[in-house]
Formats: sequence, structure tokens, C-alpha cells
Amino acid sequence: MSDIGLALQLEQVSKRYTGMLAVDGVDFDVRAGEVHALIGENGAGKSTLMNIIAGAFADYTGRILIGGQEVALHSPVAAKRHGIQMIHQELSLARTLSVAENLLAGRLPARLGILDRRALRAEARALLQRVGLDSLDPATLVEDIGQHEAQLVEIAKALGNRPCILVMDEPTSALSRDEVKHLFEIVRNLRRQGLAIVYISHHLPEILEIADRVSVMRDGKKIATREMRDVTQADLVEMMVGRAAAADLYSRKARPAPGKEKLQVRGLTRIGVFHDVSFSVRCGEILGIGGLAGSGRTELARALVAADAPDAGELLLDGCPVRPKRLSDAIRLGMAYLPEERKTLGLALRLSAGENLLAALIPRLTRRCHYSARRGDGTLGRLMGLLQVHPSDPQVTVHNLSGGNQQKVLLAKWLAVEPQVLILDEPTRGVDIGAKVIIHRAIEDVAEQGRAVILISSDLPELVSLSDRVLILRHGRMIREMPRESLSEEAVLLAANGGVGDV
Amino acid sequence: MSERTTQFTRSLGGLFHRAGIFGAVVLILAIGALVSPKFLTAGNLLNTVDSVMLLGIVAVGVAFVTYSGHYADLSVPTTMAFSGVMAVEMLRFGFVPALLAGLATGLGIGLVNALMVGRLRVNPIIWTLAMSYLTMGVMRWLWSNQQIYPDVKGGDTGAGRLFTELYRHEVLSRIPLPMVILALFAVAGHYVLTRTAFGQQLKLVGSNPSMAAMTGVRMPRTVGLAFVLSALAASVGGILITSLSKVGAYYNGEGYDFDAVTAVVLGGVMLTGGRGSMLGVLGGVLMLGLMSNILTLLGVDTFAQRIVKGAVFLAVVGVSSLLARRMGRDDA
Repeated sequence: MSDIGLALQLEQVSKRYTGMLAVDGVDFDVRAGEVHALIGENGAGKSTLMNIIAGAFADYTGRILIGGQEVALHSPVAAKRHGIQMIHQELSLARTLSVAENLLAGRLPARLGILDRRALRAEARALLQRVGLDSLDPATLVEDIGQHEAQLVEIAKALGNRPCILVMDEPTSALSRDEVKHLFEIVRNLRRQGLAIVYISHHLPEILEIADRVSVMRDGKKIATREMRDVTQADLVEMMVGRAAAADLYSRKARPAPGKEKLQVRGLTRIGVFHDVSFSVRCGEILGIGGLAGSGRTELARALVAADAPDAGELLLDGCPVRPKRLSDAIRLGMAYLPEERKTLGLALRLSAGENLLAALIPRLTRRCHYSARRGDGTLGRLMGLLQVHPSDPQVTVHNLSGGNQQKVLLAKWLAVEPQVLILDEPTRGVDIGAKVIIHRAIEDVAEQGRAVILISSDLPELVSLSDRVLILRHGRMIREMPRESLSEEAVLLAANGGVGDV
Repeated sequence: MSERTTQFTRSLGGLFHRAGIFGAVVLILAIGALVSPKFLTAGNLLNTVDSVMLLGIVAVGVAFVTYSGHYADLSVPTTMAFSGVMAVEMLRFGFVPALLAGLATGLGIGLVNALMVGRLRVNPIIWTLAMSYLTMGVMRWLWSNQQIYPDVKGGDTGAGRLFTELYRHEVLSRIPLPMVILALFAVAGHYVLTRTAFGQQLKLVGSNPSMAAMTGVRMPRTVGLAFVLSALAASVGGILITSLSKVGAYYNGEGYDFDAVTAVVLGGVMLTGGRGSMLGVLGGVLMLGLMSNILTLLGVDTFAQRIVKGAVFLAVVGVSSLLARRMGRDDA
């Protein structure tokens, strides 16, 4: 059974969460000196599979072999002892400590119990060199270095534990193109040194560039493992989602022309965040707002619904000035804001899908001091059906839903209040393609019913295909309005970066 | 761990949460019967219930604070004492004004807590601890560290006698008044928690405060109301304990902070907020009463009983966090 060239081998590995198989009889292997990409939609089981390898679960079934020897990876400590290092999407560095202290956390060099600062520096330097950060002073605090450097420090930290298997989960999600190029050089270098690397990513072009082999997961099962040179991007998409779903995405439905102005914003300002922002959105219109991270898009949205108080400016709803003092006022006025941070701001993960879905509706389900969840049953059933939330049982704890289904519940929560102005902040971040299609259709439905939608998105294909018009925000100022005809991904990107953008 | 053991742990966890505290109550009744033949007599059981009625009243209030994810109200003992002292002091104006003064004291303390924790987001443990210290200082300073007596303060209006008989008053000449109040509080508390907008929003706040705020829940008002309810329940408990001991003093209510939280947590209200029920809280109160009754029958003195109570609290918090984690959620 065992093969000497294989660093890691999984045989029929399964993991069951309450009621469902998250990983279902998966065979998987990685050779020493290989980059093996693992792809699949959110909820396909990639993260669970990798967490099994990282020793997060004591109750997986199946066999795991490392270097041909069967091992029990029942704790993170056991996984580390067997040479497995995982680099998570969310970085795990302590921001208030120095780079050196982070690198050698848990094994700080000491002499007679006293920290040996010179050895600390020297070891940290050596590790930083391996990831091309020769010029970074190890004494720098982590909070003072950039995202890209933090990512590399994270890798250096993992290398410090002398791994033979390195798992990288979405390592490029926060990096620019040049930084990705740099990262790939380091990954290739590590491969040359004989490391077995598992590389998880959503970015198919990156995988085509860096990986030697690829495995595709869907619904907890492994669909296929292929040599990279034998597949194209289209093949991968088809394996991930099936042909039908892939074709449905980004096709644009024709919509009736927008009606009268619903919401007008005049000179809205939060000092130091955004300045003198004016625009309007019509009934039945989807107004896109584009811009780079940090351009003030989220802050603008929060000010619109009075989650933060603006310093100046006014709002007109149906031509009448309104002055919501707090979020609950804005909701009563018919506005709704779906926040970007699904897990922290959007949902209460340990409550059920039903409780989350009806959360914003609580005041309306109360009559004469009597709250009745049953009054919300109709809405609940209709929206769970419309958005095809799976599983369809509203009693299921949201924590146990996949990212895509969580996002559907979050959208349903705000559709439930039947807003006249629906503001969406990254409505499909980190969701699988199937959920994305459903969410897009639901957004278009809202516009079709004559309600106004404001869509903030960094997903350019999404922004371009859904919006009737796109406003570009840069450094807190509205710098450009792009009508439907001139919309393209390149034009939006260029404008967001401050270019002229006449394409 | 094998698949089977995990499922066992999980179903055990489920049982713990569903049947909850009443399984434990039955268990301890059985233990009590084994320990002493005197235990399972009507007289002894009634005495036990009698001894925890005040705790029950106070715990119903504290349950709101714990449920909202703000752990505990440590100003409960001094709120009880202060309400009692104020009521006794105001007996000179009559019985009803005295009761109103007592309740107003509780309301005042509750509103300050509400402002500080609800609006200014001060850490609830630190703030209520400070509040407790401050009120204690005010009381001891204003009354020069003296106890005050209802029959003296009431003069010859008869209000003093009414006040001291309050605790022993029997509704329909049969049911003790504190029992009636406890029942009313528990039913009202259950209704508020499960059937009002406030209760529903409190569940959101307890489960994820950031999400609640971004859902349009008015945080200062919702969190604040939990602290006001806690203080009001404490002031009712304080008036009754003062009536029982026939003396207004700063030390009345001592120990009720910890006992109330223990009962609440024992009753299945999670310290992390958003989960639990009033029925469970009553079970927790009953459980504490039975435990201390058995220990007394065994001849364990009251100070040693504290050791047991503390150990039980640690065990309950430990086990419930562990079970919650085993069930696959690391947020407990």
C-alpha cells in the first residue's frame, strides 16, 4: 500500500458533523517536492479535510499515512510532531509582539531561563531570509508591517518548525499581483527543497500557474485528481460546479427602465473618511459602488443607514428629507444594510437559521407587547424556499451551515423587512458559485419589484453584470459615474485606481 | 475517540441541556433520601423551599443580566440592603411610601448600572463591583454604620408592625407572600424572555452583540433594561429580607450575588449569553436549596457549605463549557 515518494497519504478519510458528512471517504496524497492544489466550492469540504490533517478533530475515520507509516492525527500537537504545518487564511500572528517573537513563539531561545535576545534575532533573521524578507528588522512589531509581509512571516514561522508537509489556505487572498509573484517564487523554492505542499485556493489562474497536480472536491467527496498539464480552467470549473451552474452565472437578465428617484444623498460627509458624497438611486435600479478596499465604501453605507453618524449632508427619501438617528429608525424608514462581515456583524452563529432570519423583524412580529414567531412563519418559509437554503430546516444552527447558505440566510434576514432601499456590502464574498447564482437572482428580483438596490462589491464581474450604473469611490470621494454602456471590468478597475478609464 | 463515544458525549450533552436541571433535582432528592430519613418529609421539603424563596426572586432578575451576555450583577447584595434600609427609614411616612422608597432605590441603582453598562459599555463585572462598593460606603456613612429598626422608625403609626409582618404574610391565609411573589416573577420573567420583543432582542444581544447592533436593536435600552430588572428584583428581595430579619442593615443580602449567579448557571443559563430559561433558573434555585439542606442534615457547618457551593459552581461552568465545545461549537 505504501509508496516511499508519498509524503502524505489519506485513505477513505471521513468526518461527520452533527447529522452530515462534511468529508466523505476521501483518498488524497501529496508527494515530496510537489505542489498539490485542492479546490472546490465553499462547503465542499476542503477546509474540513485540511483541518483533519492539522489535527483539529479527534474523531475522523479512515487511515492517514505519513512517509508510509500510519499515524493518528488526533490533536494539533500530534500533527505538528509529524511535520505538518498549516497556514490559515486568517493570520495567526500576535500583532503587538515583534516579528522575531512571533517567529519563535513557543520555543524562544533561553539561557538559564532568561530570554537570549541575540539568539532570537539570529534565528529570526535566518528564517526571514528563507522567505526573501532579508531587509525586515526582526524587532519590528507585527502591527507595523504590511499584509504581504505578515503573510510571509507566517510562512517563515511555519518553516521554523521544520515541516515536511505545508498546507496553505488561500495564501494570496490579500496580496497584489506583484506580491503573488514573489510568494510563488518562495513556494517554488520550498518545493525544490523537497517540501510537500497542499495549496488551497479559489483563484484558478494561480493554481494553473503554481500547482503540479490538482484535486477537486464537491459535497464532501473528492471528484478527481489530475495532473495540472492535462486540464484547463474550464475543466476545473466544470468539475467544481457542473456545467449548468457555470453557464448561468453572470448572464444578465433584461430589466425594465428605472423609475423615479427613491433615495437622494446630498453632500454626505464623515470627516477623514468620505467627503461631500452626492448621488441618487431610482426605483427598480441597481446602483453599483466600486472602489478599492479602504476607499470608504463600507463607511458610506453605514452612514446611510445611521449605523454611524455623518458629520454633514442630507438624505431624501421619495423627495422628503429624512434624518434617521439610529439604525432602527433607518429600518423603519424602509432601508436595510447587509454588512460585509457575515460572521461577526451579520449573523448570530449559535442561533438557528429561523431565529437569524427573523431577527430584524422582531419589532414587527410584536403586537401589544406580545411577540409571536409564528406570525413570521410565512415569511420564513417563503424566503428559505426562494433562496434555496440547504438544509431547509429553519431549526438548524447557522454555525453548521456552509458559507454560501449562511450568506443566503443573511440576505433573507434583510429581504424579510421588505426594504425600499436595500444596501448590500459584498453580498457574495466567499460563497460558492451555486449560492452566488441564487443570490444574484434574488437581488435582481428586488430591483424588478421596483425597489432600489445599492450594491457594493469588489467582485468586478458581479459589479459589472448586476449594476445599471456604477459610482467609483476613491479616497473617500465620488470620482466618477459610469453608465451601463461603458461598464467593463477593466474600466472599473482602472477608474478605482484613479486612472481615466475611458475604454 | 471513536465515532460511538462522540455520539454518546453528544447525546449526554443534549440530555444535559434539555432535561437540564430537573434530572439533577431528582437525583439529589434520591441522594437526600439515602442520607437521612428526615429528608423526604413534607416539613423538611417545605422548609427547603421556604429557605430559597428570596434567592429565587433575586435570581429571576439576575437571569436577565446573564442571558444578555453580561455575566452577573454584583451590586445585588447592596441593592437589597439599600432598598431595605431606605424602606425602613421611610416607614415614618407610612407603609406604602416605605415600599415605594425601597423600590425607587432599586430602580435608581438599576438605572445607573443601565447607563454605565448599557450606554457607556463599561465592563459589567467591574462596574457592578464598583457600584456595590460605592453603595455600601454611602449606606454605612449615612447611617453611621448603624442598624435601624422598623418598629422604632415606624413610630406608633403601625407601619413598623405591618413591615415586619410582610414576609410572614400569607395570601388567602395559606400561601406565604414571598412564594406568591416568586411565582409571579417567574411567570412574568418567562413571558418577557420568550414572548416579548425585548426578550427576543436580548437573545440576539446575548448571542452576538455586534450582530444585534447591526440588526437595529437599541443596545443601551435593551442591555440597560436587563440591569434595571435585576435591580428591581433585588430591591423586592431586599425589602422582604429586611422584613424577615426585622432590621435594616448594610449587610442584608450578603452572599446573594454569588448564590444568584450559581443558581442561574446551574439552571442552564449559559454564561456566554443567549441560552437558558426561567424554568431552569427555578430548578437551579431549588437545587441549591436541596443541596444545602442535605449538607445541613449531614451536619456540615455553613462555612464548609460554602466550599461545596463554590466547587459546584466551578464544576457546572467547567462541564457546560466542555460539553458545549464537544458538541462542536467553541464559542462557549
